Amino acid sequence: MINFSDLNFIFRFLPVFVIAFYLTPSRFRTWTLLLGSLLFYAVGDPRMLPALVGAVVVNYLFSRVQSGEKSRFMLIFIVLIDALMLVEFKILGQYVDNTLLPVGISFYIFKMISYQVDVYRNKVKADAAFKDVAAYFCMFPQLVSGPIMRFEDYENNRMLTDSDEKRGRAHGRKKLRTILVALEDGLLYFVAGLAMKVLLADHLAMLWKEIGTIGYESISTPLAWLGAVTYSLELYFDFWGYSLMAAGVGIMLGFPFVLNFDHPYGSSGVSEFYRRWHVTLGSWFRDYIYIPLGGSRKGNGRTFLNLLVVWLVTGFWHGVSVNFILWGLVLFAIIVCEKYLVFRYLPKKIAGFVGHFNVLVLIPLTWVIFAISDRVMLADYFSRLFPFFGAGIAVNDTDVIKKLTVYWPVLAPGLILLIPGVFKFWENHRRHLIFTILWFFLFWACIFSLSNASGNPFMYFRF
Amino acid sequence: MKLFRDCPLLVGIGATAIILSVMSMALKDTVYADIGGGAEGPDEPAIARVFKAASMGIYPWSSGKEPDESFSIEEVPQAEEQTPVDESPEEASSQDLQQEDADISGNSSFDISGNSSGYDISGNSAEEPVYEFTDVDDDYFTDALFIGDSRTVGLSEYCEALDTRATFYAKVSLTIYDCMSKEFIKTDDGKINVETALEQQQFGKIYIMLGINEIGTGNAEYFKEAYSGVIDRIRELQPDAIIYIQGIMHVTEDKSSKDKYFTNENINERNEAISQLANNRDIFYLDMNEVVDDGNGNLDRSLSFDDVHLKASSYERWHEFLLHNGIIR
Repeated sequence: MINFSDLNFIFRFLPVFVIAFYLTPSRFRTWTLLLGSLLFYAVGDPRMLPALVGAVVVNYLFSRVQSGEKSRFMLIFIVLIDALMLVEFKILGQYVDNTLLPVGISFYIFKMISYQVDVYRNKVKADAAFKDVAAYFCMFPQLVSGPIMRFEDYENNRMLTDSDEKRGRAHGRKKLRTILVALEDGLLYFVAGLAMKVLLADHLAMLWKEIGTIGYESISTPLAWLGAVTYSLELYFDFWGYSLMAAGVGIMLGFPFVLNFDHPYGSSGVSEFYRRWHVTLGSWFRDYIYIPLGGSRKGNGRTFLNLLVVWLVTGFWHGVSVNFILWGLVLFAIIVCEKYLVFRYLPKKIAGFVGHFNVLVLIPLTWVIFAISDRVMLADYFSRLFPFFGAGIAVNDTDVIKKLTVYWPVLAPGLILLIPGVFKFWENHRRHLIFTILWFFLFWACIFSLSNASGNPFMYFRF
Repeated sequence: MKLFRDCPLLVGIGATAIILSVMSMALKDTVYADIGGGAEGPDEPAIARVFKAASMGIYPWSSGKEPDESFSIEEVPQAEEQTPVDESPEEASSQDLQQEDADISGNSSFDISGNSSGYDISGNSAEEPVYEFTDVDDDYFTDALFIGDSRTVGLSEYCEALDTRATFYAKVSLTIYDCMSKEFIKTDDGKINVETALEQQQFGKIYIMLGINEIGTGNAEYFKEAYSGVIDRIRELQPDAIIYIQGIMHVTEDKSSKDKYFTNENINERNEAISQLANNRDIFYLDMNEVVDDGNGNLDRSLSFDDVHLKASSYERWHEFLLHNGIIR
């Protein structure tokens, strides 16, 4: 249920929660949100609920301290506590038992650090009510995998404030309309995300798994490249789809749309790619790590070092494993090359071309590093991508055609959606009747796919 | 009406969801009686049943007690204790036929006691020769047929020596229950099933490996019965072929210890059952697990990525095993 693309979430938790949320008088809605979110978490990871609640209470108490004179010492103290908690659980999860890693810990800790720093910087008020701070940390649409919304955006929700209620009953009908419009708009985004996750990402994942089944040492070079594309698309639509679902649920509850993926594959350069990929994490790193370290204002040497720190931390954050560190370092290297060579010395047109090349060709290769944690298998994969050091073992040269004939119906829409204009066109015309009808069928197609994949262990086990 | 204009998608999806859920609950015991309600799966909204059924070709307007084709058999994964479902008429009739045929020809091929009948077709009145597995070369497979699921598909894709010589009637997710009737063999006149294909062409050897997809269906006895039916039918259509029953390949320890159905215990039980169908005269049992074993009765994990299939580079082991285990009559 803790997953948005779960039938229990879609048909049970979400509708029941939304109805309960709007039946609650707006003064108490924050409590409904908080309790609903804790329930949501308790179903998914009951053992780690105390960790979440503890972190919420401690962070709230520390933020209260800052309501008077700001104390730099207290800020550093609480940020260290938060960071240590994250690191400790990450290590426990990695080396002891992965069920010890609380669900969504990275995201709620990031929100907490963000909140503490914003309070210190006077960006948000320090005396926010407990229910608001707690609901902001725990709200279920963002609890599991982000997006990392800022507290100022959280506060920008008219459904949670009671100002409307004072105006009296005459506005009842208008209020109902506002709610229905919010629900409809949220649903549109939710269905878009659901379709990306269920119809594209989950099916692309099957192709990626089939490539593994063959064994990386035995795939043809074209299939190796198709695999890089497949995995890149899978990751993209899995995460973009998730983010759209999260944003959609947020909209249903009155929150502003949180942009988390801004058509990264349209970028002309890797650093731009990462400003547009997982936007809220990128801006979190920028605002709370890169800039406090001095950003790019303290000379080339320092910028270089800051970039290295950010990318090493990003790598470690994904997992304590060689491939993630390598992934972070490779991205660091590409970004440094872009910053100090490509965009500095090359003519603008050529630099733009190189930038797009980096995004469309090098990024998928970095995802391969990201995907394969076994060093030997990773080396095998690259030796098939670039078959200069000998042929593979038992390679079937027609494998790529076989996979393409089966998977083109997911690969083609996936590639088309990389073009920024396609999704933007839908966004601009999303209330159009044609799209409404299309989205209706898209939704039920997702449900069809989900019904046949879950609860029936034999559907995915087709040998 | 105004409501509908503000949120058509919400109303549309909401109304459909309610209608489908009500329908699913109303038809639970009639049309959808055979749809797994998930004794083993997680608790699911009733609406899921409608879509599960639809993927099996069962719609609300389908009549209740007449499930489509093979689905009655395929969809009884929780049937461990359940008594075997009565045979489909098709299977029964094929067995009757076999019985008749056997009586006429006097060929006691389905008699597993190895009873040496006096009136052998070959006219050889001496004792039954004892066949032993010997080394053969790749040309042995030029008149061979392989019937199997995705594992055999893998063999065809990644063992060139076999693929260029032998014929493969293999398909992903094929089971012993549907292997004769499923129309998947491509010919110039469209797709045909194995039964039809076997009527059209004679083979010298027929290798079968099936059983992993249906490991959650029925029990070993039920599986053996179905297997026996298939062997009998093949024998009837291919009187001169050597039939090799290949034991089901194991899964890795990781899979076996974590999965409810896909365990090597289950596989061994079923292999033991189907090995009894061999008569060592024209039907032989082969178990290739010895060449992919990790020493503890599991598939060696270094040979598999997904714990169930061999990696492309490991199919050679299977091929080598077959080269060392041929029967020459």
